[in-house]
Amino acid sequence: MARMQDPGLRREARSGLAMVSPTLLYAVLLLAAPLATVLLYSVLTSARGQVSWDFTLGNYIEVWTGPVYRAIMLRSLTVALGVTLVTVLIAYPIAYFVSMHVEPSKKSLWLFLITIPFWTSYLIRVFLWKVILGYNGVINSGLMSVGIIDEPLQWINYNVGALIVTLAHAYAPFAILPIFVSLEKIDRSLLEAGQDLGESKLRTFWRVTLPLSMPGVIAAVLIVFIPTIGDYVTPDLIGGGKLPMIANMMEVQMLKVNNKALGSAIAVSAMLIVGIVAVGFVLLNRRFLGPQK
Amino acid sequence: MSDAKTMIEFRDVHKYYGDYHALRGISASIRAGEFFSLLGPSGCGKTTLLRTIAGFEGIDKGAVLLDGKDMADVPANKRPTNMVFQSYAIFPHLSVEENVGFGLRRDPRSKTEKAAAVAEALEMVGLKGFGKRAAHALSGGQRQRVALARALILKPKVLLLDEPLSALDKKMREQMQVELIKLQRQVGITFVLVTHDQEEALVMSDRIAVMFEGEIAQLADPETLYRRPNSKKVADFIGTMNFIPCQVLSESGGQIEVDAKGLGRVALSPDQCPPGNGDTAMVGLRPETLTLLYPGQTTAERTVEGLVDEVIYFGDMTYYDVYLGGTDVEVRLSMRNVPGRPILEVGSKVDVAWSPSALVLFR
Repeated sequence: MARMQDPGLRREARSGLAMVSPTLLYAVLLLAAPLATVLLYSVLTSARGQVSWDFTLGNYIEVWTGPVYRAIMLRSLTVALGVTLVTVLIAYPIAYFVSMHVEPSKKSLWLFLITIPFWTSYLIRVFLWKVILGYNGVINSGLMSVGIIDEPLQWINYNVGALIVTLAHAYAPFAILPIFVSLEKIDRSLLEAGQDLGESKLRTFWRVTLPLSMPGVIAAVLIVFIPTIGDYVTPDLIGGGKLPMIANMMEVQMLKVNNKALGSAIAVSAMLIVGIVAVGFVLLNRRFLGPQK
Repeated sequence: MSDAKTMIEFRDVHKYYGDYHALRGISASIRAGEFFSLLGPSGCGKTTLLRTIAGFEGIDKGAVLLDGKDMADVPANKRPTNMVFQSYAIFPHLSVEENVGFGLRRDPRSKTEKAAAVAEALEMVGLKGFGKRAAHALSGGQRQRVALARALILKPKVLLLDEPLSALDKKMREQMQVELIKLQRQVGITFVLVTHDQEEALVMSDRIAVMFEGEIAQLADPETLYRRPNSKKVADFIGTMNFIPCQVLSESGGQIEVDAKGLGRVALSPDQCPPGNGDTAMVGLRPETLTLLYPGQTTAERTVEGLVDEVIYFGDMTYYDVYLGGTDVEVRLSMRNVPGRPILEVGSKVDVAWSPSALVLFR
């Protein structure tokens, strides 16, 4: 504690605190306070739209045992994992191509092109997918006009598959960039060394490139998984209200049913699930990063 | 050595990068079991040539033969060569033993036999007991040893070394040079080394190809290269050479007589006169072939008066820059600092002994 007495250090600490305090204040007010409120609400009792100070775990019991909630949570998980899988599988080859096969001078142009979808609003992109996949959409009417099908396919719209397609398209750039960065960091002589030691290009990819780009892949997984599991707009628009995900459920409880306690319990449960999955991935990441740094 | 079979043969190898002519008709052969060096300044094509052996660079014309077989359609992973990369290219996600055993995946031996082979390879390069270490925790010298073990464990016909010592400090580099020579004798594999360090090439190689601008300027053993460089450029690149302007007086029956400024008339034998390439005639003299005579010393060699212009003290050696015979021709000569030999001062008048046989004529 002798160090704490040092006036120079104290002054430094004070000025440091002064510098972070605006951000700290901002974070406390806009993040910690609402979070605490939600946590508090989740253990209170709500009746007829009023929340009363009766502590209970009843909300959690309802969320974790009610078949409807469980089904919706499972759907959220399935969609998020599906989107993550599809996104990463699409993003990896693109990132690989740009990193390995595009001339260095043209790489930034390629990355710029990849971000073009962001130039339009997400809502517009979602509606575009509706136009493409919808009952009277581009695919259905196209297939009908060439006579492959007689009536519109039902299974391409308003289902989990359509949700995954829409979300995967939206999140692809977020996945491409971290994978691209991790591929860029790989010393190219390592790939030559792999071949020099007798492995084919494909085998070298499995044994050298893929493991070394894993940190980027896991970053991409987290970046895609976390926001998609809580996505609210897409299920509403693409699913047409028939495919609610966890966020839609929260909205219903919070705003329509006005059961803030149950809504909070759903929110906390969802956070818990995301937290567990995310920590799992971070641990995986550490395994891959471990021997390197 | 001379009856050893040919391991690598270049037949008029050309390589272009766009418009840039990187290799301009390389023809040479490297013998089996030889320690061969490609020496030259950066950008001379030496690394490109090495990479054509490994299969990382295709060639535009000519042929590269390995152990008698044309390598044109053989990909890098099927060639009987292994490489030690300049950056060592140690896989950062694998341990030392996983790195060394990387190429053994297809080896039909059992797991225990492979582990034994890895341990043996590590012992050979002086890294016994390092197997479980993470590759990133190694020092530069240790990485280099891992790279060597990883390549040699596959028993290649040719080991390619791309400036393997350039990242090491001076002490370490000298130590590794000796170790590499020993290792090469021990395993008997053909080593091809790329380096820009002439000293390194002289120390390590059986034969050296000096390259400039995509061509081999001279291919010879280190002594010939040092004593009888075939051009001014090679002489200048390897070691220090004093160039003294001269006039060719007569040429008859192989004997050439020149008048070198400051030295006077000298008769040269044919082996001192490499084919000319149109340069101004000059004779070259290495610093250590010139000797300062101290008072009372005599010599059977020819002598010339000199005036000390500069004294550079190196600890074991002293370099003197000396004007010869009252002319403006200045040469550098080196003297070993043995006991009883004082360091001379600037402005001293000295006698310099030199031998005509040490001269090389460039023209």
